[in-house]
Amino acid sequence: MDFANLASQLNAGTILPEGIVIVTLLGVLIVDLILGRTSSRWIGYLAIAGLLASVVALLFEWENINPISFGGAFNGDDLSIVFRALIALTAAVTILMSIRYIEQSGTALAEFIAILLTATLGGMFLSGASELVMIFISLECLSISSYLLTGYTKRDPRSNEAALKYLLIGASSTAVFLYGVSLLYGLSGGETELSAIASEIAISGFGQSLGLVIALVFVIAGIGFKISAAPFHQWTPDVYEGAPTPVIAFLSVGSKAAGFALAIRLLTTAFPLVADEWKFVFTALAVLSMILGNVVALAQTSMKRMLAYSSIGQAGFVMIGLVAGTQAGYASMVFYLLVYLFMNLCGFTCVILFSLRTGTDQIVEYSGLYHKDPLLTLGLSISLLSLGGIPPLAGFFGKIYLFWAGWQAGLYWLVLLGLVTTVVSIYYYIRVVRMMVVKETHEMSEVVKNYPEVSWNLPGYRPLQVGLIATLVATSIAGILSNPIFTLANNSIAHTSILQPTAVVTTQVSAMNNQ
Amino acid sequence: MLSILIWLPILGAAVISLLPRTIPAINIRLTALTVTGLVLLWNIFLLFKFDISLPGMQLQEYLPWNETLGLSYQLGVDGLSIVMLLLNSLLTWIAIYSSSQQTERPRLFYSLILLVSAGVAGAFAAQNLLLFFLFYELELIPFYLLISIWGGEKRTYAAMKFLIYTAVSGALILATFLGTVWLSGSTSFDYNTLSTQALSTTLQIILLVGIVLGFGIKIPLVPLHTWLPDAYVEASAPIAILLGGVLAKLGTYGVLRFGMALFPEAWSILAPSLATWGAISAIYGAVTAIAQKDIKRMVAYSSIGHMGYILLAAAASTSLALIGAIAQMFSHGIILAILFHLIGVVEAKVGTRELDKLNGLMSPIRGLPLTSALLILGGMASAGIPGMTGFIAEFIVFQGSFSVFPIPTLLCVVASGLTAVYFVILLNRTCFGKLDNDLAYYPKVLWSEKIPAFILAVLILFLGVQPSWLVRWSEPTSTAIVAAIPPIEKTVTTQVALDQ
Repeated sequence: MDFANLASQLNAGTILPEGIVIVTLLGVLIVDLILGRTSSRWIGYLAIAGLLASVVALLFEWENINPISFGGAFNGDDLSIVFRALIALTAAVTILMSIRYIEQSGTALAEFIAILLTATLGGMFLSGASELVMIFISLECLSISSYLLTGYTKRDPRSNEAALKYLLIGASSTAVFLYGVSLLYGLSGGETELSAIASEIAISGFGQSLGLVIALVFVIAGIGFKISAAPFHQWTPDVYEGAPTPVIAFLSVGSKAAGFALAIRLLTTAFPLVADEWKFVFTALAVLSMILGNVVALAQTSMKRMLAYSSIGQAGFVMIGLVAGTQAGYASMVFYLLVYLFMNLCGFTCVILFSLRTGTDQIVEYSGLYHKDPLLTLGLSISLLSLGGIPPLAGFFGKIYLFWAGWQAGLYWLVLLGLVTTVVSIYYYIRVVRMMVVKETHEMSEVVKNYPEVSWNLPGYRPLQVGLIATLVATSIAGILSNPIFTLANNSIAHTSILQPTAVVTTQVSAMNNQ
Repeated sequence: MLSILIWLPILGAAVISLLPRTIPAINIRLTALTVTGLVLLWNIFLLFKFDISLPGMQLQEYLPWNETLGLSYQLGVDGLSIVMLLLNSLLTWIAIYSSSQQTERPRLFYSLILLVSAGVAGAFAAQNLLLFFLFYELELIPFYLLISIWGGEKRTYAAMKFLIYTAVSGALILATFLGTVWLSGSTSFDYNTLSTQALSTTLQIILLVGIVLGFGIKIPLVPLHTWLPDAYVEASAPIAILLGGVLAKLGTYGVLRFGMALFPEAWSILAPSLATWGAISAIYGAVTAIAQKDIKRMVAYSSIGHMGYILLAAAASTSLALIGAIAQMFSHGIILAILFHLIGVVEAKVGTRELDKLNGLMSPIRGLPLTSALLILGGMASAGIPGMTGFIAEFIVFQGSFSVFPIPTLLCVVASGLTAVYFVILLNRTCFGKLDNDLAYYPKVLWSEKIPAFILAVLILFLGVQPSWLVRWSEPTSTAIVAAIPPIEKTVTTQVALDQ
């Protein structure tokens, strides 16, 4: 094999964005080694610059005519580009949030950022991974970094407990996933690439076999853990409560996006023959997640736990798009995840700001915040209302698109359940807004009475302010000016060959002919 | 043209919320008054631009917005919506005028009211189903805050109840909108391209039931009404005016526009049961109002009764009945506004709303003579005394529906009689009798506080004497809507009527 052929097989330019992230990661570590803690004042900005550069590099790869790289191990198609950009953006905003938070907890910032960037890398590779071993490695890269981040504030017993729980559940679900993957390898007679697996299984006649269904269910267990779909959700509330808040901001958006990217790619490419089966399983997961996430969130007293259950419910909404399995369905998933990024990160930024200033995250302690900190109140209200799907905020358009796509695919009951649980969710989101806005001066909680003077000049507060305002503006206007995002979401699906109905049909037909 | 009605209040809300903290409440109120005054003037100007001889949409505006969703910014008015738009801007102005000059947190208060006004105007003018829904949901949160911050004792409970009922109503409406558009094979949610002809009758009926239930919560019809007494009673006077005067009309407007006009065949099938439902609602509202001890609660229940007539008229779907329905929507709006405004004045001056404690307010020196006189006028207008707009509207409704549904119409006439009963009770206990000499040291009612009531009273009397100004706007539109509805079979009607 000559060099030119090898280079075209490798097609290494596809992973330039990840390359930039790796260089940034090493840069952060080395700078920290040389300069020590004094570097922490600007090291965060270095990481953010790296992440943004990687997003820009992704832009240049849009509509790449030759997306397959590394001999089929990585697919740089538009679907992966959208998800990689989403994860990189999440990481960038997470770093904005974490500069002050990590400093205040007395731990090192550079190590935190390094682990976060590793998790980002894992997520970005997972978005485009199209080979079993590659999928597993990137999934574990994301998972192990997440465990480390969860237990990062190691003087806090809750953080320790959360990390242990997360590790135990995560490791077992990875093992189950790995078992499913190895079954796939065996069933396909030794193929590891996803499209090859699909055609091999079609040829060998295992199309509806028990083995394939078992492999499917095991794989779904692994995915369900990542996207925290009920009944694989049990880690979510505990981890969200124990882990440092910026970490769960990343987990709730970046890690979930990676999970959905994996779900779309794996299920549509490797399991086209049992599409009805996995759609059925995901219908059940969506129903459970919407009901459980939204109903249990009603009873939460801690903001972080409430957001944890709400994120389970939101995952249920997103799964409507996955179950629909149409182009509009996938596009609505992408769109919802994009706006979910803005609103969830805006919400978490406000939670971080509040807990930095007062040291608590109980919902009752937010009483009367309107009188002391209007900007924070506005930010948290807008983001929560957007999560609840109130017009004209971004979340409203996201939900409408999901429901519309679901309805077009004939999922009437699922959409109706989504509507009902949306009404339920409005109740617990508005409860927080009521605490902040409605309460009078004499009904203020103790911590709000002693609320410190609002000042953005303290070290590390300015990036929080920037992050808050950027996500707040995005949440408020991304709905009204949603056309570019809609176009982006639709194009990312339309340009992706694996999601074209014709492509799937032809592979199946050719497989049948071969038989 | 129409966009100004939506965007001017939004702009005003933005300006008000950005005003510095040092500006006193009274100036903020003045700003809000100016903005809504301009909107009102613009609305009156549009009324003259409106060509009353045309049945279709006028003053249309179109901007493509989101093709993926089939959402476009498409506005337009016909005879049905132009009247409602005027009611909205008039009552918003009155509501702001009747708000206290020392409102707490004035910037939030007035910007929320302006937002609500913009949302309602948008909903009335929207010619795209999704755009309508967007505006419909837009008033959810502002109203929740308006009730729960500036309300009475049980405001938290009342506001939450309002929120949940309205959210459920929104969910139902969205579900039926999605269903209608997808099943009829349309690619966009534009109102004028939508046609339900191809749908089977069963599907049409299911969708229509969804629409009626969704909007029935908002109207409200009887078993779905339980949010209303709490929300109306706990809301402060200006908010109650907006709630009852404008927001309830969104419900009836929705039933007419998206129920009746979109599903004519299913409508003619369901019409007998809807007429019965309307009559039951009217009787229930009147009977419950008699039992109340709180004057605001009485007026709230009277509102349920009066909205029942509208459903009856819509069910009858003769051209005359529909004109009556639109007239009833407008006159109910202004009558409810004058009553809530005056009750607000009485409560502010006397300090109670209990029927057992109020007495002798007509007393010329130490009572509130002018306020009570206006209250009597409002009560009479509501009860359907000739010479006032309430009578005209009800009479057209009854005349239009009698030929189609005689028995429900007769029931509604009985309900109208019962209305007179409880208003006599109300007026008798509050205005007449003797003042309690130990307690009756009421503050003076300022002239500025009476102005809104005077304006409304003049309007009520004028439209009562000169009703063509009330009905001329909606004649061609109602004829056009009704023409599409297949005649309701007489045999079915009498059958249902006899079964009651």
